[in-house]
Amino acid sequence: MSTALLEVDGVSRIYSRGSLLSRRQFAAVDRVSFGLDADRAEIFTVVGESGSGKTTLARMILGMVAPTAGAIRFKGRDVSHIRGRRARLDFMKEVQPVFQNPFEAFNPMKRVDRYLFATARRMAGLGETAAIADAADVALKSVGLSLAEVRGRFPHELSGGQLQRVAIARALISRPALLVADEPVSMIDASLRAAIVNLLRDLRDRLGVSIIYITHDLATAYYISDRLLIMRRGEAVETGEARAVLDRPQHPYSQLLKASVLPPDVPSEPGGRLRADPIIPQGASSHA
Amino acid sequence: MKTYPTYILTRLGQFVLVVFIGINIAFIVTHSTPIDPVEQSIAAATQYGSTSPEAIALMRQSLKELYGLQGGLADQYFAFWRRILLGDFGPSLSAFPTPVSVLVGRALPWTAGLLLSSTLLTWVLGNLLGGLAGYYRQSRALRFAGILAMAFHPIPYYVVAFVLLIVFGYLWPILPLSGGYGMNMTRALSWGFIGSVALHSILPVLSLALVGLGGWFMGMRSLVSNIVTEDYVAYAELGGVKRSRILASYVMRNALVPQVTGLAMSLGAIFNGAIITEQVFGYPGVGTLLVSAVYAGDYSLVLGITTVSIVAVSLAVLLIDLCYPLIDPRVRAR
Repeated sequence: MSTALLEVDGVSRIYSRGSLLSRRQFAAVDRVSFGLDADRAEIFTVVGESGSGKTTLARMILGMVAPTAGAIRFKGRDVSHIRGRRARLDFMKEVQPVFQNPFEAFNPMKRVDRYLFATARRMAGLGETAAIADAADVALKSVGLSLAEVRGRFPHELSGGQLQRVAIARALISRPALLVADEPVSMIDASLRAAIVNLLRDLRDRLGVSIIYITHDLATAYYISDRLLIMRRGEAVETGEARAVLDRPQHPYSQLLKASVLPPDVPSEPGGRLRADPIIPQGASSHA
Repeated sequence: MKTYPTYILTRLGQFVLVVFIGINIAFIVTHSTPIDPVEQSIAAATQYGSTSPEAIALMRQSLKELYGLQGGLADQYFAFWRRILLGDFGPSLSAFPTPVSVLVGRALPWTAGLLLSSTLLTWVLGNLLGGLAGYYRQSRALRFAGILAMAFHPIPYYVVAFVLLIVFGYLWPILPLSGGYGMNMTRALSWGFIGSVALHSILPVLSLALVGLGGWFMGMRSLVSNIVTEDYVAYAELGGVKRSRILASYVMRNALVPQVTGLAMSLGAIFNGAIITEQVFGYPGVGTLLVSAVYAGDYSLVLGITTVSIVAVSLAVLLIDLCYPLIDPRVRAR
């Protein structure tokens, strides 16, 4: 372990809610730590039910939300200390987000190719029109699209699966070291889900991009993760090698999470394994 | 997907239909009023002495001819459409023989000036402030502006108008009470006259703006606060795009689309607003003219005013609709 790509060091984020009289504080993320190695690209998955703090964690890694306690360092630099346009751009060159809802990821008033060109110009530092178009095309080809398909199109003219792939292509243009993908497949048709998930794995293997994959879906988590972190109410309840954790979960919550997933050959007997437990992860029962 | 020319054609067809139906309704309503303008004129003429029944019958006959009221309702209807298509509304019945078009033409600039400017002003100002308030939610000044806008919004504008009149016309008399310009002024394109018109328009515009601002402000603020949570805004912020640019071309640009529809709809309400505001401030506009025409049973004038307002409002909405594809690519046809 020579250098660390990302160090998440005892990070907490406290929110207070309620009125002036009854302020209540709760920790969206509670003392979570993990690290990614710079030498080895991996898919690090954060699993948890909705409200478990996954997205807040992602937002802190991206520097959108400042941690209340602890620190997040990317290549040794504290993420929450990034100030100013120049520094933000430099950071974005290496850490790119992919959002949950592809329909919200692009300004509906702007053509999507403009996003790719702007990213190429601002983040990859390209100047010539031909080079910019080329970079966009290369990125689009790596997600199974091409510039010809996307050129001049507005977001509403593309499907959700296409848009999500364009969003990933946009993230790839600057050749980032880390991709933070917050539920990138939950809004996508089940038939396209596998394609996107395979794409993420492909990016890790071919381009050496490390990916923080945030999901509530244990099936895809099991399928592509190298390591895994299970979150519940802001706390990391279990972490380790993905297969090991999912095959033999130690923490009761992890066991419950695994038990809640419908096995493919579930018998449809009454009082079977489907339980109406309030902490069944969102959407878990729909992934057979 | 429809092509743009088809879009224009269907929209034009709708425009013609709306105008046709609107004018027909105006015709039916004015012609079913119990006030008879001929009898009113005869009553006025015979007020001061006895006139022989033959003379009255003769007067009735010639008045009917002059007013274009001879024949049955169907004859009148077709005569009415023939004249309208020629752009002639006939003579006013109460201010005979001044043509209706002259009366309307005299009053229209006042109403258009007052209401168009106040509507556009409140729209621009309300959206701008609302957008800023939705984006810079921490700002104390904008939060205070929000409370003010909310407080003023539910007050009827004529109440605001009277309060303004009392405050600035009576308690602290710095602004004129009524009229469109100073009494001693001649209508000329001089700085003095323009200044007087501007001075007289301050209170009416203020009464409409204070109330109208709140609606646009609150609407825009809630639209914007929905948009700022969208991922593309988050992405732009992450990428270090300048906040002013994010506000203008990411946030406001998207929030403005429904507000433009709102503007088209509120342009339709211009002539409603004119009536009471002009009454309160004694403004020489179409609203005042319409009220006096209704009292006098002058239905050619009422019809003239309604026709002009129907055409004007539909035209304004049509123009905004035709511009719509320019502001929203999702409506734009290929």
